[in-house]
Amino acid sequence: MNSHDVTVAGYLVVLSAGIILQLLATRTRARIPSLGAVLAWAMNTRTRRVGMLVAWAWIGLHFFAR
Amino acid sequence: MSREPRRGERPSQHDTGRAEPSADAGRVAGHDAGALALIRASPGHVATALAGIREPIVVILLLIAFFTSISGKPLDGLLMLLAGVSLAWDAGHRARHPGPAGNGAAGVVPAGASPASTGSASTGSATGGTGMGGTGMGGAAAVAGAAPEPGQMPAAERWHRPLLALAWVLGGASYVVVVGSFSRYSWPATAAVVGLGAAVVISGWQGPRRARPAPGPLLAGTVPRRGLALWGVVLVAGGLWELGSLLQQPTLTASSYAHPTISTLTDPVLSVWSGRSVVLAGWLLLGWFLVER
Repeated sequence: MNSHDVTVAGYLVVLSAGIILQLLATRTRARIPSLGAVLAWAMNTRTRRVGMLVAWAWIGLHFFAR
Repeated sequence: MSREPRRGERPSQHDTGRAEPSADAGRVAGHDAGALALIRASPGHVATALAGIREPIVVILLLIAFFTSISGKPLDGLLMLLAGVSLAWDAGHRARHPGPAGNGAAGVVPAGASPASTGSASTGSATGGTGMGGTGMGGAAAVAGAAPEPGQMPAAERWHRPLLALAWVLGGASYVVVVGSFSRYSWPATAAVVGLGAAVVISGWQGPRRARPAPGPLLAGTVPRRGLALWGVVLVAGGLWELGSLLQQPTLTASSYAHPTISTLTDPVLSVWSGRSVVLAGWLLLGWFLVER
């Protein structure tokens, strides 16, 4: 297993953890909020709402804009 | 889940209009009183922006601007810096000049109540809600734009809704196909993404699109902090892993096969039209999801 594989595996672990949390939140009675609820919480003030939208815009800029 | 006051929380209180418990308010006052008094005493826009930097999201945006700039994307970095400073100034301005108490929770309707029955933007404050628009921006408009129950809609509006939804879908599909046809980092792609991003951010600055329900279990405090912290751990771990890969590249602007960033891993997908269109569609859906929050 080389460095490339380890790095990719790290991303997959993080992604899997997110999926597991979402499944626990939506499919079980675990006291874990869903990602949607977390985002709603994260956007419950104007500053944080605008900040989240700016972060979203940055994703598009990062992958497509010069 | 009780929200403990932190540094940078005070502007949020002006946003929300929610009265914190007196003990919490006391801790905030004790913690921030000196700094806030100093900032309020300082003249000019710089002091206003400094007050806004206490918001964590502003710090995150400024960090994004910094790392984007040193990674060879100066335009991205400049736009992020502009957005971060503007947001800091806006948050600081509202912290220094708080609006009337009733304005804070505009745009929030209590759960189970129809917007028509609530009637005014001040409803949210009565619920202790967490609304937008510390200066009242967008709140009234948000309530006015709230969707009535389907059975209460006039016939014309029942027709308008599906047509409007169809127009949005067709517009979005056209966008992902046309913009996906442009090469990455080309000026047409840049203009299309910057234009849409700016439009969404500016509309978000006005407040939510429509009245929002009163705080659910998460905001009302029935969900333990541990659940929220788990999400935080995952997001921070992902960010640190990406940062570690970035710093292990030969240079910050040269990608590495051994330590690929997410951008490097997505390069093959984004090198073809169909891949770009699919990713753009995901980006649009995420944006729509956030706008609807």
